[in-house]
Amino acid sequence: MDFLVDALGEAFAPATAAFALAAIGLNFHFGMTGLLNMGHAGFMLIGMYGYAISTQNGAPIWLAVIVSMVCATILALLLGWPTLKLRGDYLAIVTIAAAEMVRFLGRSQSLVELTGASSGIRGTEFKGTFEDLSPFPDERVAVGPFEYHGSFSSSWWLRVVAWTIVALFALLFWRLSRSPWGRVLKGVREDEDAVRSLGKNVYWYKMQALVLGGVIGALGGVLWSLGAAVQPDSMGRPTTFWIWTLLLLGGAATIFGPILGSVLFWCALLVVRRVTSMVVPDTWIAQTELEPFSLMLVGVTLMVLVVFRPQGILGDRRELAING
Amino acid sequence: MTIERRSIMRALVVFVLAAVAITVFSAATAQAGEAHDVAALAHGVATDIATPDDIGEPAAGTSPGVTDDQFDRDNNRVLQSIVNGVVFGLLLALASVGVSLIYGTTGLSNFAHGELVSFGAIVTYFLTTQEPVGLPLIPVEFVIGLPLIYAAIIGVIVAGAGGWVQDRFLWSQLRRKGIGIVQQMIVSIGLALALVNLLQWWIGGGDRRLVTAIDERYQLGPVYLGEQTLISTIIAVVALVAVGYFLLFTRWGRATRAVSDNPALAAASGIKVDAIIRLVWIMSAALAAMGGVLLALYENGTAFDAGAKLLMLMFAAVTLGGLGHPFGALVGSLLIGLATEMSTLWLAPDLKVAVALVILILVLLVRPQGILGRAERVG
Repeated sequence: MDFLVDALGEAFAPATAAFALAAIGLNFHFGMTGLLNMGHAGFMLIGMYGYAISTQNGAPIWLAVIVSMVCATILALLLGWPTLKLRGDYLAIVTIAAAEMVRFLGRSQSLVELTGASSGIRGTEFKGTFEDLSPFPDERVAVGPFEYHGSFSSSWWLRVVAWTIVALFALLFWRLSRSPWGRVLKGVREDEDAVRSLGKNVYWYKMQALVLGGVIGALGGVLWSLGAAVQPDSMGRPTTFWIWTLLLLGGAATIFGPILGSVLFWCALLVVRRVTSMVVPDTWIAQTELEPFSLMLVGVTLMVLVVFRPQGILGDRRELAING
Repeated sequence: MTIERRSIMRALVVFVLAAVAITVFSAATAQAGEAHDVAALAHGVATDIATPDDIGEPAAGTSPGVTDDQFDRDNNRVLQSIVNGVVFGLLLALASVGVSLIYGTTGLSNFAHGELVSFGAIVTYFLTTQEPVGLPLIPVEFVIGLPLIYAAIIGVIVAGAGGWVQDRFLWSQLRRKGIGIVQQMIVSIGLALALVNLLQWWIGGGDRRLVTAIDERYQLGPVYLGEQTLISTIIAVVALVAVGYFLLFTRWGRATRAVSDNPALAAASGIKVDAIIRLVWIMSAALAAMGGVLLALYENGTAFDAGAKLLMLMFAAVTLGGLGHPFGALVGSLLIGLATEMSTLWLAPDLKVAVALVILILVLLVRPQGILGRAERVG
């Protein structure tokens, strides 16, 4: 039953926190405002580039985080400007295109000195400033059945920081979704014309939501890169679709939906892989085929969820029926 | 076709921004730029290397008339990239006509269309390759090794049948249940994710070549064209003309355009909307598969994610031409093909796709309904 411990460890891994945070960002877009952002991985990627490159050039950690947030803001403004006045599926196409563009630029050979092209930026080159702040010991620490390093890479330090940030942004979502501002956004989601007739500037409200969600996505990207490395191809289209799957799984427009979704998603992925490799003989599904097999299940899950339970586990069907 | 002054202003601002960005870009990567020129040259040489008698030519060119030669070569590069662009555009059109037809008749932006493209290519590979292949979950490997032409025909037919299956068991059910169009779009994304991984599971990662022989190249004036490429282009043109004929001059084609225009009105005037949509799905899937096979020949290899990589280009093409307009896909694809191929004259080849996406965003800024689309409020 080794894999149960691993699955529990996965539940609070830095990657899980990073995806939960990114999903909170997407929740501002989709859950609150109804924007179909299909390029969330682009925000994550630009965020981690902003952080890693500015750290490489000697910026202190607070500046690096600000740079990463500014990058995401600029991307959101550029994206929202042509598309927020158009129908929803245009935003979907443009965001997916923009995310791919960020990735193509990142892995392009012509920017190799800045981004390291397709091999990305190695963790040792930008994690230093964050790991130096760690109050935890510089060795492996075991708590119960879990043993991780105190301060390096996917460490206890990163886990604590990541989940604190997730909690803070979940709190922010809760406060904002009950504020007058959040109510206007929900109005935009339900009926744009009604909100417009009340004299609100719908375009500007959508833009604010896009920027805020994008910035949160960028922070999610930074968390991810602190646990792994900056790797443009790890932030392709599939990543965006995973975030969508886990947001819809947990329940869009809910406070804990993104967190629950992320935990369930990563645990389920790990359990499926382990159980398949234990139960199904190697000749049917080889070790190399486990990855595509489990990701195929993710796709099927997304389809089934959207058709049969669009509100997810925690959501309320009356609150959010996905509509065009 | 009036274009507002504000739109033009916006476009100008974007162009200026883009120009500044590119300038900064090339200044920042001056050294990398050198390397890229060399790489581009190497790329050119690599594409020319297939003709053995051609290899002697550059050596002869190092004699006195270097500048003339340089000029000629530059000229030829432009011409060659125009030809490549048209060829690629035609093949892209074949793949993306379906996106437009499906959008027109059902309103669905089908994100799983790229997988239809790779599906056709991979079925063909499965039938024609001399390597041992297997099916998922079945631990037996075998060689089928049909001749390419039969394999391709079967591949297209299988893909068409796949289109029927998809509409019969998925999309028509969703429409009947009254699932919203945005929900359907997310379903198509889930389907794309499932299919691309299924294909990877089936065929594995890495490039798969449909033919192993080296393509014979012909010189037509200053440009080179492979034999396969020539035949592919002819097939693509014939198929596109056939689609055009079908849409313009046959009863079913007229009915398709009627559904595209206004489904409710079409239904009221006695057209079987569901049958038309079923036909559109079969046709789109078969055309996409044909495009996939021809592209695999043109690019000398296919992969499980070949179509997924193409998806953004298809969307760019269809949006540029006019979303839902059947001939828009053709116009848009040709323009996107030309733009991406010609961009390699100035930019690194790995930025090809980015160029198409920039065009997509610019089009949405200036003329969201596309070149052929009707001006209507889309917001």
